Amino acid sequence: MNTGLNRTKWEPYIWLLPSLLLISIFVVFPILIVFKLSFSEISKAGVIGGFVGFDNYVEAVHLPAFKTVMLNTLWWVLSVVVLSTVLGFIIAMVLNQKFRGRKIARSILVFPWATSLVIQASVWNYIIKYEYGNLNNVLLNLGIIQQAINWRSSYQIEFVWECWVGIFVTVPFVTFCVLSGLQSIDDSLYEAAIMDGAGFWDKLRHVTLPMVKPSLTVSTVLNIIYVFNSFPIVYTMTKGAPAHKTDTMITYLYMLSFYERKKGPATALSVIGFLILCLCAGIYMISVMRKEEQL
Amino acid sequence: MKKKIFALFLIVALMVCMVPAAFAADDEITLDVIICQYGPNTNDWFLGKGMDGSNFVEKFEAANPGIKLNLDVVSWNDVYTEVDTRIANNNAPDILNIDVFANYANEGLLMPVKDYCPDDLFEDFFPSFIEQSVIDDTVWAVPDLASARALFYNVDILKEVGVEVPTTWAELQDVSQAIIDFYDGEIYPWGIDMTTDEGQAAFAYYTWGNGGGFVDEKGEWAVNSPENVEAIEYAISLIEDGYTNPNPATQTRYDLQDMFAAGKLAMLIAPNQLPTYVADKGGEINMATAGLPANEGKTSSSVGVMDRVMAFKDEAAPDQEARNEAIGKFLKFFYDPENYVGWVSMEGFLPAVNSAVEALVKADPSFEAWLDVLGGCQFYPAAKAEWDQVKQGVIAAEQNALTGADVQAELDALQAELTK
Repeated sequence: MNTGLNRTKWEPYIWLLPSLLLISIFVVFPILIVFKLSFSEISKAGVIGGFVGFDNYVEAVHLPAFKTVMLNTLWWVLSVVVLSTVLGFIIAMVLNQKFRGRKIARSILVFPWATSLVIQASVWNYIIKYEYGNLNNVLLNLGIIQQAINWRSSYQIEFVWECWVGIFVTVPFVTFCVLSGLQSIDDSLYEAAIMDGAGFWDKLRHVTLPMVKPSLTVSTVLNIIYVFNSFPIVYTMTKGAPAHKTDTMITYLYMLSFYERKKGPATALSVIGFLILCLCAGIYMISVMRKEEQL
Repeated sequence: MKKKIFALFLIVALMVCMVPAAFAADDEITLDVIICQYGPNTNDWFLGKGMDGSNFVEKFEAANPGIKLNLDVVSWNDVYTEVDTRIANNNAPDILNIDVFANYANEGLLMPVKDYCPDDLFEDFFPSFIEQSVIDDTVWAVPDLASARALFYNVDILKEVGVEVPTTWAELQDVSQAIIDFYDGEIYPWGIDMTTDEGQAAFAYYTWGNGGGFVDEKGEWAVNSPENVEAIEYAISLIEDGYTNPNPATQTRYDLQDMFAAGKLAMLIAPNQLPTYVADKGGEINMATAGLPANEGKTSSSVGVMDRVMAFKDEAAPDQEARNEAIGKFLKFFYDPENYVGWVSMEGFLPAVNSAVEALVKADPSFEAWLDVLGGCQFYPAAKAEWDQVKQGVIAAEQNALTGADVQAELDALQAELTK
């Protein structure tokens, strides 16, 4: 009897052990190493020296591009997450309707999400190329414009293009999250709302939104993490040029480490980024737990 | 029963895996080598079938019993990440092919070349190349190849417009204006690359053509000299006047070469491999080369770019002498004209050793002219420890200037950072 109890007590942990081991080796251990590195002197060639306290953090926040990069990161995350959520929600509403070719439309929507981000960014680079880009070619052939337009005429516009590509590749994820929420709504709720005289906006506000809120929360928080950590789009499209004005935190710390060889401040920045994301994940966890308690 | 059979199978498999290690000769040396990927053929030449149906590693190991090569071909995008990560993990390669060396030498990670390079091979290198890898009178790396930059121009475009190739900055402006007027802006007269990858080359082209440069006569950093400020302001004025490609901060040298191959760009400064590049792209451009335009009364100077091979220390190696000898054998085999000529010509580069010149010129007479250009080239001051910082600093200064910042203030700030 006692043995049986013990086995029941330990069995879940034994089953969890492989996952915990893998997470420890590939996630926890590297994180601890980065924390240690952020307080260490690191040479240009990568040789790790002694403890330097918060020197790397002080140097990182005093770098000339730090403020620009932090602001860019904020705009990048806000614009991509908010706009892709709005667009994804609208597309999900459309795809939830019954129409001919709905399955094909849903399949097509997966493509941008399923394709590698480097390929997506490279393709968009070609689309908006001034000299022989597809966008100019199409507009010229349709007679909409009379001469080619430089779609990348300033770094602000280039940053907008980066955000657009971010939105383009993020929309499918939001759409499918919301779609799963929409499909779980019982039709009787809408029927009851109609009986009460609700119109389209009333149904949206009082039935649809509350019911898909859990799905939206999941997609939003995950998107904040994915988008914040996204490297390929910015790196492929501009490499942060000119002078880090289109960099986000992730691409900037890479450039700092491997181009400028300021590895100490780069590790300090990666810890700052990690803490910001921990905060976001924390908010998510708290919100989910509260919902579970309410249920 | 099944479990027992499976366990037995695992033990046998483990023993089979251990057999080669057990039978490996005690005195066998394995060299970890990292080679940069110069083009589509590099991997095939070193590891595939690109060397007469065989490859460098196979041929080397056959010719040098007792030495094994653990050779990786790594792209230029990844090589710094890979090398730095390996150094941080105390796992530096034995032999590294890369462009920079000063950081590794200054941190005591490299071996002096005289410790492993055979004397006859050392004498074979072009002395002007060797000088670029000296710190405190010690040679820390040897050159593996080089390329020289020159002004390439589309002969047909210049002929049609009725202008001569420019030799001075003022002429460059006049010729550019004539091309703009003639083609109504459809063809870019001049290509400029101020990207994060190669903006330092633009800095060199214009500052060296104005009597300035990265360092002064004493070899001290002088990035904010009046000549440099004037040169960068001139380059920015070319962009602002509409004489160049529109987005120099993001349009790389390869974008410019593509435009040149498509007949969309009239002139650009490019390496000697440009004709091969254009031919590979299917372009049929009637092109010619000339010296880089310089400011009135200043001397034009070509830009040489050189990569290196270096050997890292390995305190844990059981027999240092045998290891050094193995590294020497690697170099001897690599620079053997029978192998080296194929390597250099395959990727269209210029050689770093005298013994390869004759065979290369015989195979392609155009090499001779390029070797002359190379003889008069200036190189980046890569032997100085701050070179990485300067390289990224001048690129940032150029890119900030493109967005309206004051060139003098930008270069002053960089100089102050370097001398603090």
